[in-house]
Amino acid sequence: MGLDYQTILWNKHKKVYDKLILAFMLMYLLVFAGLTFTFNAQTTIETLIIRAFGTLAVIMLHIILAIGPISRLNTSFLPLLYNRRHLGVSMFLAAAVHGVFSMIQFHTLGNVNPVYSIFTSNLDYTSLTNFPFQVLGFVALIILFFMAATSHDFWLKNLSPSVWKKLHMMVYVAYALIILHVFLGAFQQETSPFTIGFLSIGFVTIVSLHLIAGFNEVKTDTKKSEKDESNWLYVCRTGEIEEDRAKIFTVDKERVAIFKYEGKLSAIHNVCKHQGGPLGEGKIVDGCITCPWHGYQYLPGNGQSPPPFTEKVATYELKLVKDKIYLNPEAFPEGTEVKPVNC
Amino acid sequence: MNERKDFYIGYIDDVSPATKKFLKRTVLILALVILTTAAIFSLSQQPFANSTFELSNETKISGVYHKSPYPMLRVEVEKGVYKNILLLGFGKFGANMYIDALKAKEGTLINRRLTIEGNLIYYNGKTLLQITNEQKITLEPERSSSKTDLASVVGDFELEGEVVDPKCYFGVMKPGKGKIHRSCASLCIAGGMPPVLVTTDSNNISEYFLLTDLKGQPIHSDILPYIGQPSKLNGTVEKLEDWYVMKIDVSNIEKLNKNSEIY
Ligand code: HEM
Ligand code: FES
Repeated sequence: MGLDYQTILWNKHKKVYDKLILAFMLMYLLVFAGLTFTFNAQTTIETLIIRAFGTLAVIMLHIILAIGPISRLNTSFLPLLYNRRHLGVSMFLAAAVHGVFSMIQFHTLGNVNPVYSIFTSNLDYTSLTNFPFQVLGFVALIILFFMAATSHDFWLKNLSPSVWKKLHMMVYVAYALIILHVFLGAFQQETSPFTIGFLSIGFVTIVSLHLIAGFNEVKTDTKKSEKDESNWLYVCRTGEIEEDRAKIFTVDKERVAIFKYEGKLSAIHNVCKHQGGPLGEGKIVDGCITCPWHGYQYLPGNGQSPPPFTEKVATYELKLVKDKIYLNPEAFPEGTEVKPVNC
Repeated sequence: MNERKDFYIGYIDDVSPATKKFLKRTVLILALVILTTAAIFSLSQQPFANSTFELSNETKISGVYHKSPYPMLRVEVEKGVYKNILLLGFGKFGANMYIDALKAKEGTLINRRLTIEGNLIYYNGKTLLQITNEQKITLEPERSSSKTDLASVVGDFELEGEVVDPKCYFGVMKPGKGKIHRSCASLCIAGGMPPVLVTTDSNNISEYFLLTDLKGQPIHSDILPYIGQPSKLNGTVEKLEDWYVMKIDVSNIEKLNKNSEIY
């Protein structure tokens, strides 16, 4: 993993995933074009392209944004998350076709530069209904461009996962801009209760999924736990953790994953070094803690990825009082060997 | 299914039957979502106008050139019946640059007979011609004895409608009006296209007014803030054969806060 970032890791699932992305995109464009030519044949090719790709991109963006929270709520959806990046890049390409065609159509062959024209050809910045909506789409497209351009693991490594994560959280800014772009733009003129209703439902769904998933996490994070005399925290009883699985436990806002395997218990920091996936929702496979998102692996005893990989996460000390598990809230440095407790 | 027992690892090819079944169902549902959205977005587009732009077809038109105050070619379509073809430039520019280039060589073109090869744009009885190159304008030797003053005053009116750029409105783009098209229309009019007021009455009959200032001179940049929005205009209307011309004071245009009703 860590060493292999120069090449995209190809495998059967990614290929199936990519084929499905392509097939779905083509299907969307063909159905959109077919119905338009059948029922509204006076369209122009340019308008058809602008609209088909714009709406395709916005649908893809909704799917992308739903995958995160939905797979936290139901882990069966995790396979959709596995190759979400390619979905993201494809969405950017669709949005770029829409944006670039719009720029060519509406802003080139004039007396000013097209980018300057996007910002100045409508100056009603103080009006809501007449707002220069194309500016919003333009800024969103720039954000999506930076995300697509840095989507490769090369950038994840070189920007550091936390910077990368912050950059990729900008997708929510882009999403907000795009929703405004459509509601203050096309929907002001092409007003149809179906499209407006549809995108409104999409927006509410995305927001609710995030709120529900977030609320579930806050619930685990704020659970109070009792301390013993030496300030170790009570986690749970051994019987509450399934074999090869973990319980996620929060200390001082940091989540810790306590794994049970082969009659032993080990605790490591919950956050995967790859893209911050929840290790505690993973599983022990071939003796390694395996991240549920993209399968990065760590040894339970020392939080290190097995050689040749070099990722390391912090480890924690556990003790057992009868069948009650206690955790020392002080983390050890990343990759520190800790003897598992037997249970 | 027991989802806790099932653990998907992307780079391991084997997938449990339960995961496989779940994924198949998910893909099917996604396919339905994609089909439904394509149908919703495609079918809820408003009807497009049956306007035409002959992008790949050039037509030769002969007529008498005049500027009232925008470049036009007066063509006799049948004995005694004239049509004024509005001349436009390539891209988002007016026709003046081509006309001026020829004028520099040949002297004034007003009231002279020209043959122009260009791309036709037409809709609802109006015809426009895109000129892409000054080489495509030829000056005919014969002098015309055509009338010079074609316009006759109709009266003072207050009209509600929308200011559009005629090139896009009459065929190049769909929709060629309103908010979606506003930026483009501003560029076109700033680049020398004549601004045109479109009105539509309750019987869906549209009229078209070339807008000029009170002295009858062309307006371009002053009208930019009013383009593509329902507005109320005051002015003197003149009839120019198949077109109307309206002389207005731009500062008296009133923006109406309502939805577009033209077409
Ligand atoms: C340079 C950037 C962009 C420009 C210049 C631009 C321009 C436009 C224009 C002119 C329209 C109205 C088109 C019509 O209805 O005829 C439109 C609509 C729309 N745009 Fe954009 N846009 C840009 C970026 C984006 C991005 C990044 C997205 C989303 C991923 C997006 C999504 C949409 C959608 C869903 C519509 C409504 C459907 C449609 O009418 O096409 N746009 N945009
Ligand atoms: S986040 Fe990608 S493997 Fe853990």
